[in-house]
Amino acid sequence: MKIKDLLNKKRLYIDGGMGTLLQKRGLSAGELPELWNLTHADDITDIHLSYLKAGSNIITTNTFGANSIKFSNLKEIIPAAINNAKKAIELFDGNKEECFIAFDVGPLGRMLEPLGDMPFQKAVEIFSESIRMGAESGADLIIIETMTDSYETKAALLAAKESCDLPVFVTNAYDETGKLLTGASPKAMIALLEGLGADAIGINCSLGPHQMKGIAEEYLKYSSLPVIVSPNAGMPRTENGKTVFDVDAEDFSLVMREVAEMGAAVLGGCCGTTPDYIRATVDKTKKLPFSPAQNKNLTLVSSYTHAVEIGNDPILIGERINPTGKKRFKEALREGDINYIVNEGIAQQEKGVHILDVNVGLPEIDEDEMLVKSVKELQSVLDLPLQLDTAKKSSMEKAMRIYNGKPLVNSVNGKQEVMDEILPLVKKYGGVVIALTIDETGIPETAEGRKAIAEKILKECEKYGIDKNDIIVDPLAMAVSSDDNSAKITLDSVKLIKNELGLKTSLGVSNVSFGLPSRETLNAYFLSLAFMNGLDCAIMNPFSDAMMGSYHTYMALMGKDKSCAEYIDFFKDFAPVQAKSASTVKTEDTDENPLIRAIVKGLKEPSFTEAQKALQSAEPLEIINTQIVPALDKVGKLFEEKKMYLPQLLMSAEAASRAFDAVKSVMKDSGLKESKKIILATVKGDIHDIGKNIVKTLLENYGFTVIDLGKDVAPERVLEAAKKEKADIVGLSALMTTTTEAMAETVRLLNEELPQVKTVVGGAVLTKEFAEKIGATFYAKDAMETVRFAQQ
Amino acid sequence: MKNNPVILRTSSCEEIIPDKKMALRFMGCKELSDSLEEVYEKSLEEYKKAALFKAVYKKSSVTFFGEKGIRFDFGEIESSDLRKNLEGCSSAFIFAATSGSAVDRLILKHTRLSPACVMVTDCIASSGIEVFCDLINDEMKKGRKLKPRYSPGYGDVSLSCQNDILSFLDAYRKIGLTLTETYLMTPIKSVTAIVGIEEENQ
Repeated sequence: MKIKDLLNKKRLYIDGGMGTLLQKRGLSAGELPELWNLTHADDITDIHLSYLKAGSNIITTNTFGANSIKFSNLKEIIPAAINNAKKAIELFDGNKEECFIAFDVGPLGRMLEPLGDMPFQKAVEIFSESIRMGAESGADLIIIETMTDSYETKAALLAAKESCDLPVFVTNAYDETGKLLTGASPKAMIALLEGLGADAIGINCSLGPHQMKGIAEEYLKYSSLPVIVSPNAGMPRTENGKTVFDVDAEDFSLVMREVAEMGAAVLGGCCGTTPDYIRATVDKTKKLPFSPAQNKNLTLVSSYTHAVEIGNDPILIGERINPTGKKRFKEALREGDINYIVNEGIAQQEKGVHILDVNVGLPEIDEDEMLVKSVKELQSVLDLPLQLDTAKKSSMEKAMRIYNGKPLVNSVNGKQEVMDEILPLVKKYGGVVIALTIDETGIPETAEGRKAIAEKILKECEKYGIDKNDIIVDPLAMAVSSDDNSAKITLDSVKLIKNELGLKTSLGVSNVSFGLPSRETLNAYFLSLAFMNGLDCAIMNPFSDAMMGSYHTYMALMGKDKSCAEYIDFFKDFAPVQAKSASTVKTEDTDENPLIRAIVKGLKEPSFTEAQKALQSAEPLEIINTQIVPALDKVGKLFEEKKMYLPQLLMSAEAASRAFDAVKSVMKDSGLKESKKIILATVKGDIHDIGKNIVKTLLENYGFTVIDLGKDVAPERVLEAAKKEKADIVGLSALMTTTTEAMAETVRLLNEELPQVKTVVGGAVLTKEFAEKIGATFYAKDAMETVRFAQQ
Repeated sequence: MKNNPVILRTSSCEEIIPDKKMALRFMGCKELSDSLEEVYEKSLEEYKKAALFKAVYKKSSVTFFGEKGIRFDFGEIESSDLRKNLEGCSSAFIFAATSGSAVDRLILKHTRLSPACVMVTDCIASSGIEVFCDLINDEMKKGRKLKPRYSPGYGDVSLSCQNDILSFLDAYRKIGLTLTETYLMTPIKSVTAIVGIEEENQ
């Protein structure tokens, strides 16, 4: 019988620890255990055999760290490891039919981008290489284990799915806070792994059986897949100078019996456990009744930290990351201004949305690249799940591939062509798909007609094996101004689709009010009605107080807001307030212009309002030249005279850029323009970019065009950018003594190929002498010096 | 080679409060203006929510060879600076600590939002990890006379020994600490160090 069938028929047992047993057989602290597959094959076979005798059905190969980062002879190690396991099964005199070899895959030991330097795709390739060898050598399944990062787990699982047809088990290692090291909750991991098509999922390592029980409970509550539990033999502790684990085989098996009774389908052990632990566990659990995993019927989307469950309380999806009808947003997209997009995301998160829609499509830009970049950047700083919103298949595929979690996919509809494009992606990468009730014939005018399209999409999803819970129907809100019945049809459709098809629903709410006055009022009431009719998700503008008010009111009235706490909190700012004193600057010092004063003091919002006030009596350019620039000069001088410190200088820079924002909003072009173009980079090998970012802030403030190449930038890339952008100046930063070599190389390359380009270098370990030695044009001891140099 | 035990410690920011004086020193300030004070308080609150401190340490033997060679249980280092630091020691604690990846994300977030805030947060985070290291240092000190802790990358100790140190401590599995290709640590607010043991009364 195949292991996939067996998973639904009986409880299975994985083996226990390998490391502890190898150490007993003489593996020393610095030695690589994987090499023992070659040098001590009999020992490895013997350990596998001892686990089979103890009752394990699944033995995991000694390949935890067998990847190309650590080994150059994988072609020898991996087949040998599989062979050692095969030999153990040959020697075993029990039921060989139910013994399986799991090719063991552990973490790479490197952090993926954006936190580390390993690109996601490279991690997929490294995992694929090992897994392919494991599968070709004859493994029965793949076990991905001890993963402490959701993104790396995704890379490994994707690699397994792409490089073999074997079943894949995945277990993650949680710490005592109940989260992965990079923050994911069990529910977030369940969403991600179910979406990507794992066959069994669970937990291993880090904790003992007692500490693991709570996490096991969560897995069993939310997972529709069989759950694996493989704890350590308790927590490590020191006794007479030796590491010992505090739970013995008997205690271990007692807890494992409880775990089995709770419903875990696969039991095993990790660090510190031995065949005795497995034997005791098998003895205590083999006679317990077994029930296969049940579909929990949950609709889950996730980020790298948490899952959002759709179907209980209404979910708000922020719609603001979308260029439609937004001039400034389009401009940001054309300029590749990712900061603008990220800021839109953070602002919506602060308003309380649960999910962010991300649409960065514009005819004149490369949408594939932009969507991938936006998703990466958004996910590097905020933890809301994202709704990937594009009509382009290639953009959707690329974004789904690199997304860290299980996304919402916006969207599919009843057109065969669109279903053929999008549904395979949903199946492969995992996601919850928004299904619009429109097809080749248009949008039906009745609720029944829209339900029929939803049914058609549902049937098509079944063909691909996409779970019903991973479909959310959007029955489309249309402008009530063009058809008196349109809002009612939409509301009826929500109810009908929910009640009769059992599918969740979503609506882009604001469409309803097109062409009518006081749109917010209409939107807000429509939102309440939609919720009352069972709407699960609203795509909306969280900056609309009326709609947010409608949401909070609904929650309070429906008993979904304990003690009306959220309602009270939301409306507390709506009480009549005194004019905020902070928004204007008191001008005790009458000699000084209030805008200059606000900038010098580093007051952001007052700088904005003072600039707006100034615009009433002066031209934009005049304000820039007589107020903002003098304020910056004053700040610069104070800094140079050491009367002001760097953080204060930065506060002033931020205040000045707010003043620029106010002034630029009424200008045709951006006004203050230094003609010089400056490229900035932190050199190869260095990831400290705080200093470079400070220099960038100040240069931009002074009107220079800055192209920021980021950190860890290779010399060739700096040269290429300097050529392409026709840069006047290249600024390089290095913080480590070890990376000054890369700086020297970059300067040498620039001097050789582009002698007309000036170079300015800086960073904690640099000196004027070093700068001269490597041939740089200028050494800047701080950010202001760079500005002064650029001004020359 | 002896298999010495690995000691693991975890603390939240309720126990570890970043030292304001130290943070200010990192910023190059003596005092904060009112508007900066506000930024400091806000950043500190966010930092406290993000930081989760973890440390591992393990004892290693120390022997000297050649002119500036030092042999540890994890490998060898050539350095006259570290050798001077370890003079008279026959063992040392090898030590690694981190404040976790949520701090990295917090710093990344402010990089997008506010340069002043990112600088303040960065300095708070540097101070936080130092305070935590001091705490672990005190724990190691019990009944021993220790040398000042010495981190790779200082003086003539190359960063390339980081790999051996992290493997020796199993730092990835224990505390989630990893290296980039150029031996820099992620999470970025992390410390590795060698702490010589001069005398031990045990």
